[in-house]
Amino acid sequence: MRIPYGWVREFVDLKLSPQDAADRLVNAGIEVASVTPLAPVGLRGAVIGEIEAIERDLGESRGHHLVLCRVRAGKGERFSVVCGAPNTRAGVRAAFAPPGATLPGLGVIAAKKIHGVESQGILCSERELGLGDEHEAGLLLLDRDAPVGGDLAKHLGLDDHVLEIEITPNRPDCLSVLGIARELAALTGARLRPPRTRLREGTIRARDLARVRIEAPELCSRYTLRVIDGVRVAPSPAWMQSRLRAAGLRPISNVVDVTNYVLWELGHPLHAFDAATVADATIVVRRARDGERFTTLDGQARTLDSGMCVIADPQRAIGLAGVMGGRNSEVTESTTRVLLESAYFDPVATRRTSRSLGLKTDAAYRFERGADIEGLVDAGARTAALIAELGGGTVARGMIDAYPRKRRPVRVRLRMSRVQRVLGLAPPPATARRILTGLGLPVRARGRDLEVDVPSFRRDIAIEDDLVEEIIRVWGYHRIPTTFSRGDVAPARDSDTGRQERLVREILVGAGLAECVTWAFSDPAKASALGAASPLKLLNPLSQDAAALREHPLEGLLGVLATNLSRQQPGVRVFEICRTYEAAPGGDTDTAEPRWAVLALAGTRAEAGWHTPVAKVDVFDAKGMAELVIAGFGLTPATRPGGSLTGFEPDSHATLRAGDTVVGEFGEVSAAARAAYGVEVPVFAAALRLDGALPAAPRTPRHESLPRFPAVQRDMAFALGERPVTADAIADTIRGEAGPLLRGLAVFDVFPLPDGRRSIAFRLTFQADDRTLTDDEVNAIHARVARRVCDALGLTLRGAESPST
Amino acid sequence: MSHPRVEAVAGEARAAIEGAASSAELEAIRVRYLGRSGGLTQILKSLGALSPEERPQVGAAANEAKRELEALLDARLLATRAAERRRQRESERPDLTLPGRRPARGVLHPLTRVQDEIVRIFAGLGFSVAEGPEIETDAYNFEALNIPRDHPARDMQDTFYLSSETLLRTHTSPVQIRAMRAQKPPVRIICPGTVYRRDVADITHSPMFHQVEGLAVDRGITMADLKGTLTLFAQEMYGPRSKIRFRPSFFPFTEPSAEVDVLCFLCGGTGCRACTQSGWLEILGSGMVHPQVLKNVGYDPEQVTGWAFGMGIERIAMLKYGVDDIRLFFENDLRFLRQFA
Repeated sequence: MRIPYGWVREFVDLKLSPQDAADRLVNAGIEVASVTPLAPVGLRGAVIGEIEAIERDLGESRGHHLVLCRVRAGKGERFSVVCGAPNTRAGVRAAFAPPGATLPGLGVIAAKKIHGVESQGILCSERELGLGDEHEAGLLLLDRDAPVGGDLAKHLGLDDHVLEIEITPNRPDCLSVLGIARELAALTGARLRPPRTRLREGTIRARDLARVRIEAPELCSRYTLRVIDGVRVAPSPAWMQSRLRAAGLRPISNVVDVTNYVLWELGHPLHAFDAATVADATIVVRRARDGERFTTLDGQARTLDSGMCVIADPQRAIGLAGVMGGRNSEVTESTTRVLLESAYFDPVATRRTSRSLGLKTDAAYRFERGADIEGLVDAGARTAALIAELGGGTVARGMIDAYPRKRRPVRVRLRMSRVQRVLGLAPPPATARRILTGLGLPVRARGRDLEVDVPSFRRDIAIEDDLVEEIIRVWGYHRIPTTFSRGDVAPARDSDTGRQERLVREILVGAGLAECVTWAFSDPAKASALGAASPLKLLNPLSQDAAALREHPLEGLLGVLATNLSRQQPGVRVFEICRTYEAAPGGDTDTAEPRWAVLALAGTRAEAGWHTPVAKVDVFDAKGMAELVIAGFGLTPATRPGGSLTGFEPDSHATLRAGDTVVGEFGEVSAAARAAYGVEVPVFAAALRLDGALPAAPRTPRHESLPRFPAVQRDMAFALGERPVTADAIADTIRGEAGPLLRGLAVFDVFPLPDGRRSIAFRLTFQADDRTLTDDEVNAIHARVARRVCDALGLTLRGAESPST
Repeated sequence: MSHPRVEAVAGEARAAIEGAASSAELEAIRVRYLGRSGGLTQILKSLGALSPEERPQVGAAANEAKRELEALLDARLLATRAAERRRQRESERPDLTLPGRRPARGVLHPLTRVQDEIVRIFAGLGFSVAEGPEIETDAYNFEALNIPRDHPARDMQDTFYLSSETLLRTHTSPVQIRAMRAQKPPVRIICPGTVYRRDVADITHSPMFHQVEGLAVDRGITMADLKGTLTLFAQEMYGPRSKIRFRPSFFPFTEPSAEVDVLCFLCGGTGCRACTQSGWLEILGSGMVHPQVLKNVGYDPEQVTGWAFGMGIERIAMLKYGVDDIRLFFENDLRFLRQFA
């Protein structure tokens, strides 16, 4: 909200510079985004000039009729100025930039020849002064009593600064010049002088001219009406127009401008109806009917519902309560009698109406934060007085005041001991009292405590601690000391999930992967290629490609792969700890958020170098990384083909199980899925379940004695036949037959034989805890194992390799 | 002791050893003179044919010559082999300026690093970690925190909804509510987590980001304690000379509320681009837990008081690492991530 500082100073005597005032406000919790001079940058030295005479006609030039004017600017100063503006007339006073002045965009003005005639300066339009867009209408004309030769910026009220103020939702009372003045008065101890209204009322009583009926008191607790008769609608005077412009408002007409002026000054929204359009001169405040059509002032036809409040006459709606007036009842040039509304509308209903219609207005902004139900009387009176003053009408006697739900007085007691308990310090009671009084809060002493009758403009003050904040806010947050809480210190606990995730990160970072963090939003079009079929959808997504929540754990990383591969990264090896989101009955929200550790690999396995040939990752890299993590939790997984996650190539997809628990899955991401994400190279990935699968916390390792006797190794290779036999099945058979002396089993070679079969070679390590094994002992086991594997699985032993120990 | 017959062979052998150029030549000399059919061996084998007087003389002389030649050969071999090895290595000398063979190094995400650091600092101050769901109810995310429906305070946190009752949490404060409902005071917890606000992404906004919130509720806790704890945090995070300042603000769930600024650690408070010349960086919001919030979880605000704070991890990470666009954290460009190894 733009607050002209000069306007504030009308209500409080301040010696502070605008910047110092802004700093005070910031330190008291009123955010000031900027302090800017009102005058356009680059405008200097422009004055009020009077066109004394048109001396010569210079003819047409580029569509303009040029004349040479004699311009008076101050005592005895005369200038010859060429001007082509259509409103150039002898006798008018206009903005004038003499040689030496500067104009925005034009720089320093010098005398120069135009059409062969010397022009000593420029008579200026709004646009040339940097004040607005207006140019075609001609010169910026000034009042007939504007002081000739006087500084233009000062005359236009531009020798001021504007504070751009951002008000938190709890302080609607600060959404006005007076509100800011009140804060500054409290902060500086200066006296507040609210505007005084001199309302001269006529003899006719308002209630003889109009009536008000509130049919929806739950939406409108108070509605007052004043009647101003004999108004002549015209532009408002320059001083008001410049004030409004400084505040960022557009002048319209004297009646409308006054309502906006008082809105800015006192913070209360007002609305003027043309009485001639109101049937029976009767205002009815009622709920809208479902489906009721209504055209607001901005010309938009809107469809209302019964949650909304309208201002109506007995026949039709004429205003959308608290939000915007109606087209059918607006003040026009022909208006002579004005019905002036100053009312209180329910914050919640106003906010719903404003939001559901997408209609944000200054009025709605204030009503939804809570208007001043008592102060609205003064706001109405001041507006009526100003309309009469500027529009020449008569204010009817009295106001019509429908006030079905009276505000209950709010009285808050403040214990000074509470101040101490909350803040850790407290000012002397006299200081506290002075601060509260300065804020306009009437205070009484009650023993050692204080009692405050909260005025209607401070809706935010409801409890004792609200007063604690008021006191320290004004007294200064810098006074709060720095201490440390006493009390029992309990040992701090990390969460189980935190420790679990930390171990996963440690392992995968150690394995050379980069951790990623991706948005939980999902693009359903892409995710469906991964097989995500029923994602949780957002009601109000930011965009269609972020319309749902992640359903498949690999969604984020596929995006990361696409990004990096498109940026010429030869190898991308990444992981992420993330959640997926799914509907699941139970809990507070009927949803579940299982956590995952996912990893994805594409491209080269390592940085290629002079010593490292380029090698591409394959599915066993993904499996190995997954195994590494699982092993870190003390589990030894078994591999089973296939799995329940979608998005993998069916022939390259397996599940890792620890006992009956599915710990994770790995495989090659399906070509369709990676194509959807824009990845052209094969992607190998693994997804590990962190909830209910991997242990919640890292295991504590148990030490085992190191073997004291030497180990013996034996190799055996099998030729695989027609029957599909897996490495796991062979290994299981070997383990089953070999007995407890087998301490290690590894696949060390797999290669195709010339006849097209495949050879798989195992290395068996035997060891005993209590003796050195003999060759005979080992040879016997070895032969038994080999026979067993061949018999059970139909394989051919390719001849044991020479024993090596 | 010498003997002319022995000396003739030994002298020849000495000269050969002397003149040998390689270890192979020396081995050949050993065979030639000391081998099974070598010169000295022949003399020793032929001792039987000598006269009894001559036999011990020649024998002794030959044995001595053999020992001498063995020693001489060994010494020469050692030296020659060392020289040969040196030559060999010299000829194969590696270019040590070639790049080393580095194992791939993984890297934690910068947000993880910052979150861990914050959590570690508060763990040291006696705060336990608490977590909760990202999909929350309106009641936990707003109502329990004194933010009623249709209240303008909701504009401060534009929200993603899944239904009229469920939403993506806009802060980790609902974790505080859950924690307080689950235990009696004293409570000292820190709540890190992912949160969501319906803001279009730009250089300072992301619709998903991360927060750490802290909460302390106990008898006799004051706003001065809040200032003390946050001062300790700032000094751990930004160095021992760090300072903080409180500014009044508004949050519906705290009363009084304060924005907290930390003395700009880039310029030391003299003013720079990062702190927009103010010397201070706004890093978190905080305040005394609103009595209504305490009542909502069944605590008695006359018995206990508490404070709470919340900070954005991205904001802290951006300041700490000089990252000028929040979206970089979620783009996961490896060239970006590797800068935090």
